[in-house]
Amino acid sequence: MFNSYIKRSYSLLVSFFLIFVISTSSYAGVAVPDVDPADAAAVAKAKTGMDLFKANCTACHAIDRKVIGPALADVWDKWDTEENLIAWVKNSQAVIKSGHAHANKIYEEYNKMPMPAFPTLSDEQVKDVFLYMKAAEKGFDPSNPGGKKETADAAGGATTEGADSGKSNTTLILVGLFAVLAILGAVLFNITSKLSKIAKVAQGESLDAIEAVEAASKKALVKKLGVVAVIIAAVLLLFNIGNGAINLGRSQGYKPEQPIRFSHALHVGQNKIECQYCHTGVEKSRHASIPGTQICMNCHKYVQEGPKYGKDEIKKIYDYSGWDPDKGAFVKAPKNIEWVQIHNLPDHVYFNHSQHVKVGKIECQTCHGKIEEMETVEQFAPLSMGWCINCHRETKVQFADNNYYSVFEKYHDEIKKGKRAGVTVEDIGGTECQKCHY
Amino acid sequence: MSNKKYWTSLDELNQTPAYFEQANQEFSLVEDATESIENKEPNRRDFLKAMGFSVSVAAVASACQIPVKNAIPYTFDLRNQMPEVVPGVAEFFATTYYGSADFNSILVKTREGRPIKVEGNPSAKFFGGTSARAQAAVLDLYDVTRLHNPVKANKKIDWKKADAEIIKKLDELKASGQKVVVVTNTILSTITKKAIEQLKTTYANVSVVAYDPISQYAIRKASGGIIPAYQFDKADVIVGFNCDFLGTWMNGTENAAKYVTKRVPTPENPTMSRHHQFQSSMSLTGASADYKYPIKPSEEKQVLINLYTKLGGSVSGAKDFSNKELNTGIDKVAKELVAAKGKSIVVSGTNDVEIQSLVNAINATLSNFGATIDTSNTLNFKQGNDEALATLASELKNGAYKGIILVGANPVYDTVYAETFKNALQKADLSISTADRVDESAQYCQYVAPNSHLLESWDVIEPRTNVYGFVQPTITALFDTRQESASILTWAGNVNVAIDSLVQAEIASVSGLSYSEALQAGFVDKTSGIGASALPGISTITTPTQPKGMELFLYEKVAIGDGKLANNPFLQEMPDPISKATWDNYILVPYSFAKENKIDSMPADKKVPVGKITVAGKSFELPIVVQFGQAQNTLAIALGYGREKSGNVGSGVGANLYPILKNNTNSVDGVTFELTGKTYNLGLNQTYHTLMEDVSLPGKPLRYRGMVVKETNLASYSKSETAGNEDREAIQKHLVTMYPTPKFPGHHWGMLVDMNACIGCGACVVACNIENNIPVVGRRQVFRSQEMHWLRIDRYYNGNPDNPDVSFQPMMCQHCDNAPCENVCPVNATNHSSEGINQMAYNRCIGTRYCANNCPFKVRRFNWLDYQGNDMFGSFNDGTPGWGGSETKDYMFDSLTRMVLNPDVVVRTRGVIEKCSFCTQRIQSSKLDAKKQNRKLQDGDVKTACQTACPTNAIVFGDMNDKNSQVAQTLDSGRNYFLFEEQHFLNHVGYQVKIRNKDEESQRSFFDKEG
Repeated sequence: MFNSYIKRSYSLLVSFFLIFVISTSSYAGVAVPDVDPADAAAVAKAKTGMDLFKANCTACHAIDRKVIGPALADVWDKWDTEENLIAWVKNSQAVIKSGHAHANKIYEEYNKMPMPAFPTLSDEQVKDVFLYMKAAEKGFDPSNPGGKKETADAAGGATTEGADSGKSNTTLILVGLFAVLAILGAVLFNITSKLSKIAKVAQGESLDAIEAVEAASKKALVKKLGVVAVIIAAVLLLFNIGNGAINLGRSQGYKPEQPIRFSHALHVGQNKIECQYCHTGVEKSRHASIPGTQICMNCHKYVQEGPKYGKDEIKKIYDYSGWDPDKGAFVKAPKNIEWVQIHNLPDHVYFNHSQHVKVGKIECQTCHGKIEEMETVEQFAPLSMGWCINCHRETKVQFADNNYYSVFEKYHDEIKKGKRAGVTVEDIGGTECQKCHY
Repeated sequence: MSNKKYWTSLDELNQTPAYFEQANQEFSLVEDATESIENKEPNRRDFLKAMGFSVSVAAVASACQIPVKNAIPYTFDLRNQMPEVVPGVAEFFATTYYGSADFNSILVKTREGRPIKVEGNPSAKFFGGTSARAQAAVLDLYDVTRLHNPVKANKKIDWKKADAEIIKKLDELKASGQKVVVVTNTILSTITKKAIEQLKTTYANVSVVAYDPISQYAIRKASGGIIPAYQFDKADVIVGFNCDFLGTWMNGTENAAKYVTKRVPTPENPTMSRHHQFQSSMSLTGASADYKYPIKPSEEKQVLINLYTKLGGSVSGAKDFSNKELNTGIDKVAKELVAAKGKSIVVSGTNDVEIQSLVNAINATLSNFGATIDTSNTLNFKQGNDEALATLASELKNGAYKGIILVGANPVYDTVYAETFKNALQKADLSISTADRVDESAQYCQYVAPNSHLLESWDVIEPRTNVYGFVQPTITALFDTRQESASILTWAGNVNVAIDSLVQAEIASVSGLSYSEALQAGFVDKTSGIGASALPGISTITTPTQPKGMELFLYEKVAIGDGKLANNPFLQEMPDPISKATWDNYILVPYSFAKENKIDSMPADKKVPVGKITVAGKSFELPIVVQFGQAQNTLAIALGYGREKSGNVGSGVGANLYPILKNNTNSVDGVTFELTGKTYNLGLNQTYHTLMEDVSLPGKPLRYRGMVVKETNLASYSKSETAGNEDREAIQKHLVTMYPTPKFPGHHWGMLVDMNACIGCGACVVACNIENNIPVVGRRQVFRSQEMHWLRIDRYYNGNPDNPDVSFQPMMCQHCDNAPCENVCPVNATNHSSEGINQMAYNRCIGTRYCANNCPFKVRRFNWLDYQGNDMFGSFNDGTPGWGGSETKDYMFDSLTRMVLNPDVVVRTRGVIEKCSFCTQRIQSSKLDAKKQNRKLQDGDVKTACQTACPTNAIVFGDMNDKNSQVAQTLDSGRNYFLFEEQHFLNHVGYQVKIRNKDEESQRSFFDKEG
């Protein structure tokens, strides 16, 4: 009895010791140095890490919060050695198979959703990513080691604001000046008419007669002014009708309610998911393509709750896609989500996304506005022909960088000779009818 | 410039005042051509109605929000494998188009899973061209008449139930020892053949009879069961006898592709094959021949006997004709054949064993077997057996068969035994049809087990021994239909058969290719060498009988063929290459006959006279069309019309001549003809909308034609590269202008058409229609000169009207750099691009039609009506005869049919001018691909729809600024010319002078004789 007690407490002791040893030795944590803003080499490495992080990790991870995968801020304390963490990043499945306790724990915690392997990354690159992550935790931005960006932004903001206020100031001054002049003119006119009246009286004319003539001319003037006013009103009316007619069918600012309250501000702004992740056609096809539920479900198999609407909106996706979250399987055929189309081009316009995004290297925001800030998407641009044409007139094509344009020998010659700064879309025929209408 | 006189129609030949009057009109003078939809005088009520409508529309437009549109994502079912589809990007599938006489290896363009266009398969070489029928196949898929499910006694039934009932009946018939017959047409599918064999194994009481509506059984009978493959690329002398081998006979695409390899001389190699054609009526093939001999159908045998005798063959009955020209012609042919021993082909399309036996004997004498004629890789087309059909008909009369299964056959329509089949089908214990619609025969069957369309099917097709085409689905079956092979296998006891795995096994066994390789290639050609086995010797040749009365020649039209495709509106509206008529069959009469009967002029209102023919107690009333080059005393009518149950498009179009197709030969004698005095509104093309004619009065020579159609003969061409085109140098010298020449910094698109390679088949016309969403307008609108084709093939005659030469000239927008249309547009809707394209902005067009009036080529089309229903509240054709006389009027209004529309090309609204855009959507897409891949655009990256459709590569398109492009290089050739070049339009569709392989000017011009 006693023996067994001793034995038990012994084994207990041993296990306590083991736990202690493990928790102190194997969970010693990963040490990643902080980045010294003055150390240019370290900043450069952190910058490389940032680029890699944004390209490869942000679809599923954020530093400060859980996205699809866990938050990465405290990852250092959870892992035993840097080698294991690097191995885990490069090929998580291998680490899981090797029986690593923490790896398996995470795997279980996240519904056995494997993280994609990154075999192409070198150890050095992964370390750079760590360097960036550590720096980002502390709010350091390697692309702006001096933290100048915000001030630059502020300055920029100020300049534009200044320019704006300058513009309105000028208008204000002009209006004021006009008003002063008008008052001045009125006063002067009044004085001259009074003076001439006095002069006429002095010449012996009767005041009554003068006033009668004045009244008559006043009447005539009012009549004339009336006619002018009617003409002005008619012109204004026609102008408005014309403008209104031109704007018929345009819907800038159109912001309809959608069947699912999908937030671009959350997905793009906060989670930093690339546009192309969902709009897969944007570099391949004329359609950017609105993602089907098959793309939503890449993440929402696991992300079952959102920060704003909780489970309600995500449940709608499950209904549409035929997913049963309890069984963890697709049990029904998917239904179509009938999104309300916001950007409506007329049928006789051919627009190709890949032409603009892949070839023209135009930012999505140029036409769609600050999508990353939109809770509900609205139409940013007027999508009028004038708007298209203006951009085609002003935008330069990737003339030197794309071999296709070598066919325009004349322009290349002119650029060589210094006669030409660049080639706009218009120069290569981008404002001709049958480039968009066929 | 040629001094020959060219004409396109009767009136132009006769230079009647009516012709000049209408030729100079912008639009047709047909009485109702300018009639609006409402043919009424407007009155006060109409005014109020219009007023009220405008006001309410204005109110609605200003008061309402823009209608809410939905954007539906392309959603996949994640329980299945994800297809690799990028919405907006086309995918191409290699598959096969086939018919009883057609085989084309094709690529099918699909967008978001819908097949929208057929292209030739370039890797299939000679088999990779397309025909008009292959091009139109996508529209057959979206045919609204197709059955949506299996049918029993006109009621829907599900497959399981139908199969169970059919199998039960088959078992009963087998048990009681009753006979069952499977009636088929030619089956090229190895899968279907095996399925039928399996049915025969399961049910020993089943027998099979194959027939063809238009038969070539005589060739098989005379050649020991085979149809040898004629290799037209190996022959220097080709002699055809009523054989339309470039068009309807069989294997037209391969033949045309091979034929043309020897028909285009170059300065380095100024040789071409010589082609003689003996024909009863002008055919597509005859139009391309160098020497043509109009012969009555009854004279063919005599010609062959004379020819065989002259070649030294021993056959009795040689007898000179009273027609001396024909005798000298036969002499000439004989002489040339002897000189080209082993390098010639004699071929006949007449279904007569003695004629085919003579043809074989002649070819044997000339040692052509093994040299130009392949007896081992033989043709599998036309497997029908006329004798078996006749036997079957007599047995059916006796009630010998209690079960009849029709597999792709429609004997109630296309055989002379229609009544027999009708009665037998009604009386049978079991009658099944696998037709895809309730056709003339299926309506009498108990069960209709609808076959899937070939674009929904799996199959292996063997058109020639050792040549295989693979068929893969390009879309899931639209309706609850099943491939006929699957149906037969099911009834044979092979329930739940998976056709794709059968096809997979079949591909492995026939081709040796892996499954994916085979599906990617779509085609495999395993022929090697040319078989030279001896054919049976000549049979007894009886003396040709003298025909009674007039003779009637029955032929197939290039588009409609034997009538199976009658419900395809693109094919119905495709102008016949020779007669230029649409939507009908008609009595073709020779010019001499027309003169005798005083019907040799076309009334100004284009109403053609109606004739009545009577043969074997049956009468047909049909419109009359005068055909130049048709044999004397011979009439000709096309088969394949007069369908009663083909569907909304083809039913009731024309008359059915199959009931007089005696012994399946293509001619009958003892025909009487009379004029009824009635007239008919025939949809004839090219009597209007043609190149502008001299405005001078009748009697003056037709100035322009010789500059439009330039031709020469081979002898002159071998002396000078610019033969027939001598005037071009002088013209170019005179092209002095004070205006600056337009400059094109990037691309400058141009097209070249080789008039020697063009055989006029019309594949390009249909391809253009489908690519560019060109509407089908119906017979009535064609009659009113309002057809919408952007590309037409002009057909010109010259020489002797009784036997003229024919030239084909594909005519589309010429994209002139100094375009006459551009500077008359008041709203600048048509203008010029920096790539040399004459652009048409439909939404800017206000429909003044000044441009159409000013276009010298008459290629601009005005869409008077809303043919596709895109902005109409209802039908435009209500209560008026449209759609070829059928009751259903609105073809493109159907949402199923509209799935064929090309999403990259806008559907034009009513009231705008439209025309060829050089397939701008293809140019833009190819440029974009080059930009995305960061490379220069290569020659051949951009191919227009007409170019890819052409089986003979007659059309070349490319960048004229690229000095290495085929277009730029051919521009300098001596044969190249532009139409009306002296007018300095700077047009950019060049034509290559037509060269005929003639010794001398043997046929003196008709006009020369007179003046």
